[in-house]
Amino acid sequence: MKHTFLIALTLLFTSLSSAQTQDEKDALEFFWGEQDAYKTMVDIPEKWSNESAVIIYKNENYDFHKFGKNVTYKTSVRKRIKLLDKAAVEEFSEFTYTKRFRSSKGLSLGTRGNNIIGVKIIKPDGSEKIIDIHKDAVEVDGETKIAIANLEVGDIIDYYSYSIEPFKSTYAFGFDPVEKTLGEEYPILDYKLFFETENDFFINFNSFNNAPELIEIPTEKKNMRRYELTAQNIEKHKYERWFFPLVELPAYKFQVYFARSGKFENRAEAFLPEKEDVIKKTVSNEDILEFYDNVNPYGDLKHEERFLKKKTFANDAEKAIAIFYFMRHYYLTRFLEAYIAKDAEISTYPFGAYNDDARVFNEDVNFMRHFIAIMKDNKIKCDLIIAKKRYDGSLDDLLIQKNLNMVIKTQTTPPVYINSFGPHTTVNNFDPLLEGVDAYLLSATKWKYDNIKRITIPTTSFETNQTNKDISIDLSDDFKSISVSSVISYTGHKKQDQQYERFIYKDYVDEDYKKFETESFVDLVKKSKQDSYRQQFNAVIDKLREKQEETFKNSVKSEFDITTIEDYKYTINETGRFNFETPFSFTEEYTIKDELIKRAGPNYIMEIGKFIGGQIDLSLAERDRVENIYMGYPRSYNYQISLNIPEGYSVSGLDKLNKSIDNKTGAFTSTAVLEGNTLTINTTKQYKNNYESNKDWSLMMNFLNEAQQFTNEKILLKKG
Amino acid sequence: MLKFRLSLILILVTTLHLKAQKNTEPSDSEIALAKTIKESHPDDNVALESEEYHISFDFNKKSQKVTVLEKINKNLINLDSRADIQAYCYYDGESEIESFTVKYKNNKETGDHVNDEAIKSDDLFHNDTRVKYIDLDFPLKGYKYSTETIKKYKDIKYFTSLYFNDIYPTLKKIIKVEIPNWLELEFKEMNFDGYNITKTVEQNPKKDSKIHTFTLENIPAMYKDEGSPGPSYIYPHLLILAKSYTFNGTKTNIFESTQDLYNWYKTLVNSLENDNSEIKDKVLELTKDAKTDEEKIKNIYYWVQDNIRYIAFEDGIAGFKPDEASNVFKKRYGDCKGMANLTKQMLLEAGFDARLTWIGTKRIAYDYSTPNLLVDNHMICTLIKNGKSIYLDGTEKFNAYTEYADRIQGKQVLIENGEEYILKKVPVSDASSNKEVYNYVLSLEDGLIYGFVNKTFQGESRSSLLQYLDQLKTNKKEDFLIWYLNKGNSNVSVIDIKTSDLSNRDVPVDIDYYVSIKNAVSSFDGTIYIDLDFEKELAGYNFEKRHTDYMFDYKKHLVSTTSLGVPSGYTVSELPKDINVSSDNYDLSVTFSKQGNAIVYKKEFKIKNAIVETSDFEEWNAYIKDLQAIYNEQIILTKE
Repeated sequence: MKHTFLIALTLLFTSLSSAQTQDEKDALEFFWGEQDAYKTMVDIPEKWSNESAVIIYKNENYDFHKFGKNVTYKTSVRKRIKLLDKAAVEEFSEFTYTKRFRSSKGLSLGTRGNNIIGVKIIKPDGSEKIIDIHKDAVEVDGETKIAIANLEVGDIIDYYSYSIEPFKSTYAFGFDPVEKTLGEEYPILDYKLFFETENDFFINFNSFNNAPELIEIPTEKKNMRRYELTAQNIEKHKYERWFFPLVELPAYKFQVYFARSGKFENRAEAFLPEKEDVIKKTVSNEDILEFYDNVNPYGDLKHEERFLKKKTFANDAEKAIAIFYFMRHYYLTRFLEAYIAKDAEISTYPFGAYNDDARVFNEDVNFMRHFIAIMKDNKIKCDLIIAKKRYDGSLDDLLIQKNLNMVIKTQTTPPVYINSFGPHTTVNNFDPLLEGVDAYLLSATKWKYDNIKRITIPTTSFETNQTNKDISIDLSDDFKSISVSSVISYTGHKKQDQQYERFIYKDYVDEDYKKFETESFVDLVKKSKQDSYRQQFNAVIDKLREKQEETFKNSVKSEFDITTIEDYKYTINETGRFNFETPFSFTEEYTIKDELIKRAGPNYIMEIGKFIGGQIDLSLAERDRVENIYMGYPRSYNYQISLNIPEGYSVSGLDKLNKSIDNKTGAFTSTAVLEGNTLTINTTKQYKNNYESNKDWSLMMNFLNEAQQFTNEKILLKKG
Repeated sequence: MLKFRLSLILILVTTLHLKAQKNTEPSDSEIALAKTIKESHPDDNVALESEEYHISFDFNKKSQKVTVLEKINKNLINLDSRADIQAYCYYDGESEIESFTVKYKNNKETGDHVNDEAIKSDDLFHNDTRVKYIDLDFPLKGYKYSTETIKKYKDIKYFTSLYFNDIYPTLKKIIKVEIPNWLELEFKEMNFDGYNITKTVEQNPKKDSKIHTFTLENIPAMYKDEGSPGPSYIYPHLLILAKSYTFNGTKTNIFESTQDLYNWYKTLVNSLENDNSEIKDKVLELTKDAKTDEEKIKNIYYWVQDNIRYIAFEDGIAGFKPDEASNVFKKRYGDCKGMANLTKQMLLEAGFDARLTWIGTKRIAYDYSTPNLLVDNHMICTLIKNGKSIYLDGTEKFNAYTEYADRIQGKQVLIENGEEYILKKVPVSDASSNKEVYNYVLSLEDGLIYGFVNKTFQGESRSSLLQYLDQLKTNKKEDFLIWYLNKGNSNVSVIDIKTSDLSNRDVPVDIDYYVSIKNAVSSFDGTIYIDLDFEKELAGYNFEKRHTDYMFDYKKHLVSTTSLGVPSGYTVSELPKDINVSSDNYDLSVTFSKQGNAIVYKKEFKIKNAIVETSDFEEWNAYIKDLQAIYNEQIILTKE
C-alpha cells in the first residue's frame, strides 16, 4: 500500500515538474516546501467572517545578490487567501502576468528577467490542487493569462509571484524606494517581510506609526544578512477622502543601494548607512549637509547677461524675480512650438531653427544650479530649503533622499523663493504639499552649504487660494432657458491646475514672445517654409480648441449635474502667469434648457442653490470618520450670483438663502439681497487649514453640511 | 517635476503626428469637397470618397477548402482642420492579411509602421482575433490617403457577409464579387429597402465566372447610438450563402441547407467524449432528495447557473465546439456552449432527455432559413419532457426554470436530434412577467416626506437585481441595496429594509422599507410645493438625436403608486394633468387623483417588446417631453 502511494506521488510530481525550470522548482520549494509553516492554516477569526476575503498569510521577500558587477534582484510575494464570497472568487479567478521581461536597471538594458507564478487551491475538506500553469495558461503578445479552475466560495487560494531580475551595474545603483502601509484591501492574519542581502548592498529601512521593527536574523555566512518584519491581525485599508495613509497607518519604508566601492558610495543619490551591516533608520543634519554640498552653481550665463544689460531694478529681489521669468521663457516656453512641430512632424528637426542653441532643463536640479549660478554672478546669495511632502510623514522620519524637495531662498530683502520650473510656475510660493512642514534651511559660506537649521515652511491662507465666480443669470420669457454669463477667476494654488487645463500653448507663448521680445518658431524658420508651417500650426490650434470646448462643456454639465448646454463661449481675460497672487480669469457663457426651473401652477420654482456647483455630500460612513483630516491647502470659494427677476414676478424664499456657519475649521456663509429687479446672492465657503484633527471633524461637517444644504435651496418666482 | 509638466503640455499633441511629405497638400478643390461633405455629415471627421471591395474565390486542393480573397481599396479625405485616426483590419485563425498599405495622394507609400495586436475583449477571456493598424494623421482639411487591404479567408465558411456602411460616411461604395462557375453562392439581400443599390451581373469569359457588382452612393457612417439593435437589423448588407462547389462533376456541399450547417455542428459535437464519470456523484447529490422531476431539473439547472463562472475561449474551433462537460465541471468555468453541454450531460445522467441547442440571440436578424455561421451566436440546452421543450440557459444567472431571458425569446432554436434536427421557437412572454410594482404610502411632517414603501420585482427585473447583488462583496451588499432604493440621492433616507430570500429565484423579490425624504418640500408664503417623485423613470429617454431603434434590456412593466396624505388644514389647489399614450410597442400612463384626503399619483409604464422603434420616436418623444414637464411640476397645497 505504501509503495503504491509512493508511486502515485512520484507520478504526480513528475507530471507537475516535467516542464519546470530550476528557478520554478526553487520557488515552489521556497514557498510551499517542507518548511512552510502555513500549509495547514485554514482558519480565520470570527471578527472577519463578514469580509469578502481574508489573507491568512502574506509574505513579501526582497533578495539582493551580486557577483562583481552582476546583480541578481529577486522579489516575491505570496498570499494565502480565504475567499468568502463570489466577488472574491471572481477577483482571484484570473491571473495575468508577463513571463519574461527586459530589465530596465543598471548598464545592461534589456537583460532578460523572469516572472514565475504558482497557484494552489485548498478546498474546505483540506484537499490541495496545484494549478499546472504551463498547461492551463495562454500567452498572447508576451502576456500570459490563466483562468483558475475549480475555484469556489469557501476555498483558499494560495499563490506566489516571483520575479528574478539579473542586471549589471558598474556604478552605484539605487533600487526604487518602497513605501507601503502594512494594511491592504483585505485584512491580514499574518504578515512577514523578509530581506536577504550581502556586502555592497546598503539598506535604509524604518517602520512607522507603530508598525513592528525590522529584526536581524543570524546567518551562516559573514557577508550575508537577513532581516524580517512580522505583524499579525492587520485590519484592511479604508480609502478615505483627505487622508495620507503613510502619515497615520502602520507602514514601512526602505531603499536599497548597490555601491561596489567607497567612491561610488560617495556618489550615491541616497543617505547611505556607514556600512552594509548597519541598517540606516534616520538621517542626521550631517548627512543632509554632506549630500547637498554638491549643489554647484553651473551654467552658461550669456543669455541672462544680455537680458540684464541696460535694465535696472529697484532691488536684488526684483532682479531675481525678473531672471526667473526670463529663464522660464528662454529655457522652456520659447521652445514649446518647436516641441509641437517635432511631435506633429511639421518639422523633423525643429530645434535647428534656434541655431543649435536650444537648451531646456531636463531636471529641476539643473535649473536650480543654473539659477544659483546667475545669482552668484550677480552677487545675490542663495539659501536652500530642503523639505519632504506632507503625505510622507514628518521630517524626523526622513529616510529616503528621493523624498526631499529643494527650494531656493535668495538672501535679499524681501527674500525670493524659487520652487519649481514649469510654463506657469511663479516665484514666492511653495508646493502646497510642502506648506506647514518642518524643513532644513541650508546656508552657504562661499557657496558651500555648511550651515543647517530647522525652519517651518509657512502656509498660505484661504484668502490666497481663491475660486471666484461672478455669475449673471437671465431667464427667457417662457422660463424654459437660463442664460448664464460667468466671470471666473482663480488665485494662488487654485490657479495652476486650471492654467494647465484651460490653456492651449498658443494662449501663453505669444504673451511670452511679446514680453521678452523673442521670435516665434515660425518667424525663425526659412521664409519659404513659413506659410506652410503657419497653416499646419493653425490646423493644430483649431483641433485643440475643438477638443477644449468639448471638455469645458462637459465640465459645466457635471458641475450643475445637467444634461445639455447650448451656445457655449469661452474667453480668457487674464493669464495670471507672472505672480502667484494675480488671478487667472476667464469668462464663460452658455444657455441651460429645461433644467433647474420647475413649474408650480402659475409660478416657477428655481433651484438657485445649484448655481454654487456640486458640493461634498458626506456618506453615513464618512460622517463616522475617525482619522485626522489632511487636505491639499486652505482655500475659499466666493460666488456672486445675480438673477434678473422677470418682469411681473416677485421672488419668495430668500430667508433660506441666508446661512452662516463659521468656525475655526472653515465657514459657509450666504446672503441674499433684492435690489430693484436684481436678486444678488453672495456665498463663501472656506477651508481655513490644510489639516484638521479628528476631534474637529464635527466642526468641518457643520459647514460642509450647510454648503450641501444650500445646493438644495430654491426660490419661488411668483406671478403678480 | 519638470518632465511631468512638459508631458502635460505635450499630451495634447502626442496624438497629432503629421507627415512632412511633398506634393500632398490639399488643393482648393479638395478643401472645397471636404467642406461640402462636412455639411451633410457634421458629426464625422473623415469620409471615404470611394470604397471598393473586390472578392474572388479559389480552391485549395491541399486543404480541400474554398478560399476567399478580399481586396479593399479606400480613399479617405479629412473633413476637419486635422484628424488623427487609425486605419485597421482584423484577422483571426481562419484568415490572414496578405498586405496592408497606406499611400499619400501622390501614390507614394507612407511606409508607416504596421502595428499588430491581439484584440482584448471584456467578454472573452481569450480569443484569436487580431488587428493590424496604422496611425493615420491628416494635417490639414482636405488631406487624403488611400489604403489597400488584401485579406484571405482560408475557408469560405467564415466569409459570411458584406456591409455597405463603413465607420466613415462614404460617397460611393462598390462591392464586386466574382463567382466562378464551379461555385454555387447566393446573396441574401438584407435591409435593401429604401436604398438605391444598383446591381449588375456580367460574364467574365476569360475566367469562366460572373462578376456581380453592387453600388450604393452617399452612405452615412455606422451610427454611434447606444442600445441599438444588432447591425444585421439596421444596415443594408449581403448575407453570403456559400452553397456548394463542383469539380469534375462531383458536387460538394458547403452550407447548401440548414442540414449541412447542422451536420457540421454535429461533427463537432460528435467528437466529444462525454465521459461523465466525474459528474455522476454531483448529479446524485443534487437529485437524490428531490421529490419531483421538476425539483431534480431545477437543482441541476440552478447548480450550473450558480457554480459555473462564465469564461470564454474563442480560439479557432473552440468558438464552435463545446468543451467536454467533465472539463467544465472540474474547472467550474466555461462559455455558453460548455454550460449547455454540462447541463445536458447532468440531465442525461439524471435520466432526462436533454439536447444541445444552437440559437441566435435577439441581436441577430437571421434565422436558420439562411444557413450561415452568422445565424447563431449562443448555445443553450433543451430539455424535452412530456413532448414539450424547455430551454435551459446556464449563462442566465438567477433565471428561474421555464422563464426565458428576453434576449432569446421568440428566437428560432436548432435542437440536436440524432442525424436530423428540430427547429422550434423559444416562447415569448408578456412584459407583465417582468413586472415591478412600487407602492409608496407617504405623509408630510415638518417639511419632510416620510412613509412606508413596498417594492416587488418579477421575471428579469428580479433576476437582474439578484444577479447584481450576488456578485458584490458581502460587506457592500447592504450599501448597494440602500443606493438602489434611494437612487443615490442623499436626501432620501432608507431604513429598516426587509427583503424576501435574495437567493431564491423562484419567488418575486419583495422589499419593504421606510423612507424619509428631505428637500422635496418647499414652503413659500404659507403654500407648500412638493416634488413628489425622486425616481423619475424614463425621464432621460429622449430619442431626438437617435438614428436607430432603442432596445431595452428586457420588456418592462412598471406600476408605481404613490399615495400622499394631505395635512389637515390644506387643500390641493391643482394637480398636473394625466398623460397617456398607447402603441404596439408601449402603453404609458401617468394619472393623478384625490382619494379621501390623499393624492394618488400613479405611473404605469409598459414597454411591450423591449423596443422603441424609430417610427415611434415622434410620438414617444412628445410623451417624454410631457412626462418631463410633469416631473418638473410641483404639487401645490394651499391653506384652506
